Amino acid sequence: MTQTPRLTDPAASAARAPAIELRGITKRYGQVVACDGVDLAVRRGEIHGLLGENGAGKSTLMKVLSGLVRPDGGLILRDGEPIDVADPHVAARMGVGMVHQHFSLIGALTVWENVILGDDSPAGRRRGGRLSRDAACAEVVRVGERYGIPVDPLATVDSLSAGERQRVEIIKCLRKDPDVLVLDEPTSVLSMAESRELFAVLRGAVTGGDEAKAVVLISHKLAEILAATDRVTVLRRGRVVARLDTRGTDAATLAREMVGREVSLGEEAAALGLTPVAPAADPPEGHPGGAPAAGAAPVLELDGVTLRSPTGATPLDGFTLSVRPGEIVGLYGVEGNGQSALGDVLAGLAVPDAGAVRVAGQAVDPRRPGALHAAGVGVIPEDRHRSGVVLDMSVADNLVMTDLGPVSGRLFVNRRRQRAHAAQLAERFAISCPSLDAPLRTLSGGNQQRVVLARELSAQPAVLVAAQPTRGLDVGAIEGMYAELRAAAAAGVAVLLVSTELEEVMALSHRIAVISAGRMVGELAPTEADAERLGLLVGGGAAGPPAPSAPSAPPPSSAAAAGSAR
Amino acid sequence: MILDDGSTILSSAIRLAAPLAFAACGEYLAERAGTMNISIEGMMITGAFTAIATSSATGSASLGLLIGAVAGLLVGLVHGNASHRLAVNTFVVGLTLNVLALGATSFFHESSELTGHQVTQVSIPVLRDIPLVGEPLFVQRWPVYLLIVFIPLTWYLVERTRWGLELRAVGENPQGADVTGIRVNVRRRQALLWCGLFSGLGGAHLAVGAVGSFNDNMTAGRGYLVIAAVIFGAWRLRGTMVGVAVFGFADALRLALPAVGLRLNSQLLIAAPYLLALAAMVAFVRRTRQPAALGKPFTRGIV
Repeated sequence: MTQTPRLTDPAASAARAPAIELRGITKRYGQVVACDGVDLAVRRGEIHGLLGENGAGKSTLMKVLSGLVRPDGGLILRDGEPIDVADPHVAARMGVGMVHQHFSLIGALTVWENVILGDDSPAGRRRGGRLSRDAACAEVVRVGERYGIPVDPLATVDSLSAGERQRVEIIKCLRKDPDVLVLDEPTSVLSMAESRELFAVLRGAVTGGDEAKAVVLISHKLAEILAATDRVTVLRRGRVVARLDTRGTDAATLAREMVGREVSLGEEAAALGLTPVAPAADPPEGHPGGAPAAGAAPVLELDGVTLRSPTGATPLDGFTLSVRPGEIVGLYGVEGNGQSALGDVLAGLAVPDAGAVRVAGQAVDPRRPGALHAAGVGVIPEDRHRSGVVLDMSVADNLVMTDLGPVSGRLFVNRRRQRAHAAQLAERFAISCPSLDAPLRTLSGGNQQRVVLARELSAQPAVLVAAQPTRGLDVGAIEGMYAELRAAAAAGVAVLLVSTELEEVMALSHRIAVISAGRMVGELAPTEADAERLGLLVGGGAAGPPAPSAPSAPPPSSAAAAGSAR
Repeated sequence: MILDDGSTILSSAIRLAAPLAFAACGEYLAERAGTMNISIEGMMITGAFTAIATSSATGSASLGLLIGAVAGLLVGLVHGNASHRLAVNTFVVGLTLNVLALGATSFFHESSELTGHQVTQVSIPVLRDIPLVGEPLFVQRWPVYLLIVFIPLTWYLVERTRWGLELRAVGENPQGADVTGIRVNVRRRQALLWCGLFSGLGGAHLAVGAVGSFNDNMTAGRGYLVIAAVIFGAWRLRGTMVGVAVFGFADALRLALPAVGLRLNSQLLIAAPYLLALAAMVAFVRRTRQPAALGKPFTRGIV
């Protein structure tokens, strides 16, 4: 990517006002200041990276820009003219297009319906509210060809892969020919090849002379920012802490600005979205390397687990995997390939249509509520707000929620014992909360996650399933979670780490399994795993001998290579 | 003889299905927009009472039909504003409106002297002489023929217009529709108004078209039958209308069987359409795909 020639003349673009400029944008949610006087200027012809940890205010800032959130203060300038972005329509008219990662496409509708949805352009109005399918399809094809992202306009969005959906998002956006294109964490559901493709499309969009667009790329991954952007603005706790030229900076500098302290890239790299340097060559302490207890019988066995959804999809398709005591198995895959379904099966929320789940050799009847918990499976769910905690109940209540045995008699909960139990857990897991009686809602994401972890580990499980355990946490909390998972494995718990973060899987796992389209497609030791091979597996490639890729073929445009090289 | 009986049953099946069909046009559209409109029962009975009251006061059954539809629209207006602007749970609003409408119409019926009125019957020469289907299809009260316009119109609005596309988007993924710039709750209220208009018309037609008078609780759960028909039809208009026809036919059999001399338990007969609806729901509900956000309220920012 960085080798692509840049057609824009820096002097010329500097003379013009920035395509979009934010001045002093402030947004508060109650006590929390999401954005605190943020200034950001994005010029035509550049890909501008907006880097920050989860919760640094990146998304809020872009919601302000796209009219979804009204700021409490500040100014938005478009080509130097102040504008008032009251709603998404105004933003669209002003030439600001936003590619949302999660909530924008309607799965039950077709591609062309999605692309023209919400279009209030005069061209749309002229037809008097009637839809013209042929015109819409032609337009999808035209925009797709121009940017090199072909999509079948008649396909239903639900039937598309994550990468294809993103193409639809981008076509939907580019169709209105915006001057400013904003992408919010665009790669979270993409495989590495798809990410690279996306960055190439973006590079094409900003190299167009006078028609050049300005692109804002929001990310919390260092490798991505380094590989794909021209300039970068770093946010920390709602404030801009650095503005840098991407070429003149490096991962260490960006990491320091993002976290606010010196970080050693060896230890904390995974938390920052960088592939750790040679993960297995020098296993950190508490990380026994190799396969611990290689001879031991597996504690958790999934045997041909199949789950069909009412819509006819098959989120899990004969999924087979086993985890031995004391080992961390990292299940890596791009989001939306069955990980959520697997988490639901292991939490007892979904009953598989076929296959067996065995814990310590005993088949568990998944139809019986609580059977998996009773068998010794602890789960840190992917979405803790949905199935991990009750936000409006107290910390103490949440800590005993799955197992009242130790703190209650036959009828009544012993409040004193419950509090003692909760206090003990809060201390051991360093849960910081105003009071044990405070509603869980008042805790930070990291502390909420610690509550879940504490509760699941206090039941002394034989198996711990950690599904995306660090999602939405800041670096400190991520490191804490890593330490706890390693400690649990060292204590003999079989840990199944389900993650979409390659770096996380490589840093923690003794064994890496890859899930794609609901199947187990391959298994690797961390020593033989690298970004290229995993990327191949994730994309549905064969699990067999690796393609002759890794050492040869210097990939100049590889986002992943740029990351792992550092 | 068989032909005559068949003709009579078909005739009353169409007569009894017509009010359901009007209301189903409304409920179908509301559900595609993601609103499970429970208050349809209240809309229908309000429409029925208002229609009779209006025609009793003015002497015009057709005017009664119109005002009945408007009354249903007003119920939709109340429902929409209560559940969106006051953020009351839509099911609570719906149940409350149903109870209120039932009580209010019975009260006003009790405390006023209403005379029955019925809209004119259309009888098309020549065609009405076709054996079996001639009389059922070509001798009916005139509003029945409005369905020839309204059913295709509903389909066209939902499937072929920008507004309909936005309605479907709102029913499937309100968050997605919101970030695309569609005003989710505005679209849902518009769908509710459409539903109110047509449910009111359905109730009005029941009173001044099919029966010719008003009696307490005369809709007797027909609104819920319409909801069942939409489920039966798997949220497709054609299937919904098939459901309406099935329920109308069951209702007609209830009236016709004793007339042709078949003796069945009368309670069982009265319950037949509802039992059929229940059976249809159980049989079909698992295989169908409902709008993903059906019955889920939308508030910006809560995901």
